[in-house]
Amino acid sequence: MDFLTLAMDTAKSLGADYADIRIQKSSTEMIYLRNLSLKNTSLNELYGYGIRVFKNGAWGFAHNNVFTADAVNETVKKAFAIALESRRVKYEDGLVLAHERGYIDSYKTPYCLDPFDVPLGEKVEMMMEVNKTMLNFAEIKLAVFMLECRKDEKFFASTLGSRLDIQTLYIEPTITATAIAEGDSQSRTYSHGGQAKGWEWVQGLKLTDRAVQVAEEAIMKVHAGSLGAEERKTILLDPNHMALTMHESVGHPTELDRVLGWEADFAGISFATPEKLGNFQYGSEIVNFVANNTLEGGLATAGYDDDGVPNQKWYIIKDGILNEYGNTRATAPLIDLKMSRGCNRATNYFDFPINRIPNLYLEPGKEPLTPQELIADTEDGVYIEGRGSFSIDQHRVNFQFGGDMFWEIKNGKKVRPLKKILYKSNNPEFWNSVDAICDDRFFQTFGVTNCGKGQPGQRGRMTHGGALARFRKIRVGGSQ
Amino acid sequence: MITRQEMQKAAEFMKKHVSADDFSFTVTGAEDLLTRFAQNGITQHITGNKLNVNLNVAFDNKTGEASTNNLDEDALKYLIKTAESIAKLNQPDPEFISSEPAHDLPDVENYSQNTADLTVEKIVDDILKCVKNAEGKSAKLSGISEKRLNNSMLTTKNGFKGFDQFTSFSHSMTMKKEGVETKVAKSVKDHATFNMDKLIAQLNSQFDSLSNPVPMEKGRIPVILRPAAVLNWLFYLIWTFERRSADEGHTPYTDQIGKQFFGKDFSFYSTLDDPELNASKFVNGGIPAENIDWIRNGVIKNMRSDRYYANLKSHKALSPYNIVVDGGDSSEAEMMKMVKRGVIVNNFWYIRPIDRKVGEWTGLTRDGVLYFEDGKIQKSVTNFRWNEILHDATKRILAMGPVVQQEYYAKIPTLLIDDFNFVDVTTF
Repeated sequence: MDFLTLAMDTAKSLGADYADIRIQKSSTEMIYLRNLSLKNTSLNELYGYGIRVFKNGAWGFAHNNVFTADAVNETVKKAFAIALESRRVKYEDGLVLAHERGYIDSYKTPYCLDPFDVPLGEKVEMMMEVNKTMLNFAEIKLAVFMLECRKDEKFFASTLGSRLDIQTLYIEPTITATAIAEGDSQSRTYSHGGQAKGWEWVQGLKLTDRAVQVAEEAIMKVHAGSLGAEERKTILLDPNHMALTMHESVGHPTELDRVLGWEADFAGISFATPEKLGNFQYGSEIVNFVANNTLEGGLATAGYDDDGVPNQKWYIIKDGILNEYGNTRATAPLIDLKMSRGCNRATNYFDFPINRIPNLYLEPGKEPLTPQELIADTEDGVYIEGRGSFSIDQHRVNFQFGGDMFWEIKNGKKVRPLKKILYKSNNPEFWNSVDAICDDRFFQTFGVTNCGKGQPGQRGRMTHGGALARFRKIRVGGSQ
Repeated sequence: MITRQEMQKAAEFMKKHVSADDFSFTVTGAEDLLTRFAQNGITQHITGNKLNVNLNVAFDNKTGEASTNNLDEDALKYLIKTAESIAKLNQPDPEFISSEPAHDLPDVENYSQNTADLTVEKIVDDILKCVKNAEGKSAKLSGISEKRLNNSMLTTKNGFKGFDQFTSFSHSMTMKKEGVETKVAKSVKDHATFNMDKLIAQLNSQFDSLSNPVPMEKGRIPVILRPAAVLNWLFYLIWTFERRSADEGHTPYTDQIGKQFFGKDFSFYSTLDDPELNASKFVNGGIPAENIDWIRNGVIKNMRSDRYYANLKSHKALSPYNIVVDGGDSSEAEMMKMVKRGVIVNNFWYIRPIDRKVGEWTGLTRDGVLYFEDGKIQKSVTNFRWNEILHDATKRILAMGPVVQQEYYAKIPTLLIDDFNFVDVTTF
């Protein structure tokens, strides 16, 4: 008998109301290059299984890395035993799982070149070349290249009869140049975050060419001026920067577990409470946020979530109005939803799946609009690229963001680079101030592979996207 | 959980079979029981053993590393083959440094049988007690309770051999009712020293002091930072408190070692001598831990440094393995009389760098803010954002409270700091 069947049979024989098992092998290759010194060249493998048992409205979860029939049975029994303990402090009348059926299916991230098959020497040589290119600039004192490739192979079975075979993969190259001059130190980074693509994607990035631009902009930035005291101005945000703002100010506030208070002790709750569904003006009328776990290249795209729920596409915000949440089988029924949207994901085999942000993006504008036209139409503003400082309160309302590169816009033109720029806003004010979004020709996606959430902490991944967008009357200024 | 004997057996296998010029072999085992609760019910309950087996090898100065979570012979052979293949294919590392030789390690006891013996029934009983307390106030409770047992062994080609084991028990809880939301958290090495009734009393005291928070003007205001808030910002200070970054010019600490860069009342150190605090026996790949002054009376004495850079610059390779900030004897009541007006902050949230060279950070208050004037608490106020140069803030310390154990690795006082830079008010 295979371990999947054994675990499910044992759970049923103990009297579990529901159970699932996730056998997962995760392989991560890391290469970290700092000023031509290889600080880390490693391959990490984790292989084991986690078993969830649901009994009388409460969960138990146990994990193990020993693959024997006895060990599997013992793990099921441990999960069952602590589920019985959990029900002594039962959530209201006990949790209810949203309806779902079983599936027998498989999913594999589409790619041509498996990064784990690319010789190490080829990767390191390319990274060295990028590092050297940056260090050729006299004012660049620090050049960093981090490369991470991760592959997850999962077998999932549940007492609903599911049997899923899922293989996902992502690659994340990040290059950073740091310039030192005039008593200051400023960095510039090029990164698309992680992408669920093959090595052919990295080859197409032409990172040595990017390294020149990154180094030049770091130098430009270290010599740049800043703005004075905070005032209300127009800001133009590039899609890489917005990937971070939407993650913090739309993605996290619309995780239903957070809305329900499940994260109250750690990452906080959400202002986007259920009575606001269908009537809260979250953004201006041109703001549409799509959750799409079927997105090609998306980091949350895996065929099914760790509840065994199929990936789906839906509106989180439609025409500016809060429309729906990302949810799971355990959270959906608590706001009277019959089906889960499939947002329950765990990082490693020993992690309990938690409500995660789906792939989430801002729909491009419907009217033709290029970035050049948007800049030309802006009289006085700041153009912000890339991800910098970010901080948002534990209700996900009030925030302050920085960026990685800043340009002052005067009379429709980028006139000078800036540094040390911050803007402050609150969630409804910010997304309601959007008055223009470039069209779908300029839509880009950016992956997040380090979304920290949960206790014990887990590292989640998802993809965000958008096109250059304009925000009016936002508080912008230089840091002190 | 993996035993010391099994670790030793694996280390012997490595000594016998690794063909590389150098190696460091680490085995870490853990046994966890974690219960997470929210809205007065348990939402997550986890148990299991974890294992990390890591091998770092070098042929001359070409390095490779591999890790797995299995200790059987096939896994160890795979580990050697993988790490050695990586090293052989790799380019030379100009900053390579060979593994540590044998050292005498300090005698530190990080293990408590009381914690190891803690049962799931006892943990759930205590959560039930906390939930009943919250229900008595018509409030909702969320938090975690976690028991952890860890052991680890490091073995090197050059003769280092170190074994350590530690225990911890952590409990945190946030009580919420309408606009009032406050949290307490504590962890200890020995569960026998953990007093749940005391923690519940602290939670109730904080909760009862907060009601109908009202907005208050932003600006530079004296602040009483309770220990959780001080510890929260210390993590970020330690992150950038690194010797090489300072020497290279990326942080505010460039050329500041030996100088009074922090406030003269601010001292921060790591110690092996406090039995209530966990203290690693070794750090940085085999350097014996020792008592370290990081900042003494505002003067930077030592900074975090890795073995390569320490060797290059002829200083010690150091890492903070626990955190103690010197305190004083001022009570909160006395602090409130030292300034005309100010706020009391329970905790900070979402601290991030704004400008790493300047040392400017941002963050928000959390878990309740109280306004005081003329020596008395006047009202509860809504949260603030702050943008502060934290090392400058230590120059504005007006008073310090007694040091209290905040976590199993940290003892922290309450601080009264003048003119804290609150730059924004939040909507709740």
